[in-house]
Amino acid sequence: MSYSEKLIEHYENPRNVGALDKSDTSVGTGLVGAPACGDVMKLQIKVGADGRIEDAKFKTFGCGSAIASSSLATEWVKGKTLDEAEQIKNTMIAQHLSLPPVKIHCSVLAEDAIKAAIRDYREKHGEKPAEQAAE
Amino acid sequence: MPTQADDTRAARAGFVSCWSCKGPVAAQALFCHTCGAIQPPTQLDHFRRLGLEPAFDVDLDVAEKRYLGFQRAIHPDRFASKPAKERAFAEAQAVALNQAYETLKDPLRRAAYLLKLNGIEASVSRDETVRDPELLMEAMEAREALMEATSLEKVEKLQAKAGADAIAILADLSKAFASDDLKAANRLATRLKYLRKYLDETRARRIALEQAEGTA
Repeated sequence: MSYSEKLIEHYENPRNVGALDKSDTSVGTGLVGAPACGDVMKLQIKVGADGRIEDAKFKTFGCGSAIASSSLATEWVKGKTLDEAEQIKNTMIAQHLSLPPVKIHCSVLAEDAIKAAIRDYREKHGEKPAEQAAE
Repeated sequence: MPTQADDTRAARAGFVSCWSCKGPVAAQALFCHTCGAIQPPTQLDHFRRLGLEPAFDVDLDVAEKRYLGFQRAIHPDRFASKPAKERAFAEAQAVALNQAYETLKDPLRRAAYLLKLNGIEASVSRDETVRDPELLMEAMEAREALMEATSLEKVEKLQAKAGADAIAILADLSKAFASDDLKAANRLATRLKYLRKYLDETRARRIALEQAEGTA
């Protein structure tokens, strides 16, 4: 199996690795996993006052394709509104990285991580009492 | 009434017709008890193929003995001079027995298979994303701890802890299946999968540290 240059580049130099303060109300955290391969992916977004995602970080324990997919996802969400970020589809990630068919689920995981982070952020703001009490 | 009990047993075990003498043969029989002809594998679950009741707690010694005994009985050497049809049946039986034994002897595969028999496709057998914060945090934190462990001693401690956790999960899986709590069993299977992968990582880390210390 051969991997694309873009994929290898993201894998060797992953962007935005790290963590944001998950108790910060401007931060949304998405934690997702793929039980079939035992991968776990955390993707966080920090939303600015203008409603745009000003920062994103990720931490992924998994294969190279999962790392590259989440790295790319953090790059793509930056500067977008939540609604725009929600439009990112796994197929776009898979296409950009030329993921082989057996690794498509890695891009699905990245898409799901973005969605989970957005949902967490929205819950923090929409359903304030319950979510903030939980922090 | 003995006849009724026999009928029930026969129905449960299932009988098929021998391809050679047309007489009745038990579904899990390798050979016709009337004419002695090798039988093709029938649609049996992996447990019954090895003469076991479907359950998470299986006696692996018994399973292994049966598996090896059956494999001896259908060994290709015994069929070298038989017609092609019978050789093909023996080969198909060998494949079916391998599948059964390989599935049952591994607790994770056994759990996933047992869930399937109960109509549930286990999360570990599916291309799906889980959002189980507790389970995923556990997996994430374990890996972070491993990344921070720079000494062999610390890695060994983490490895020992993960090994003990895996054994505890097996006991929990057994309880979950015994009480028919399939949802819990599915989640435990996922935890076991994550834990195993983590164990592989601790092993790799340990080897890397051992090599580094050896060359230092």
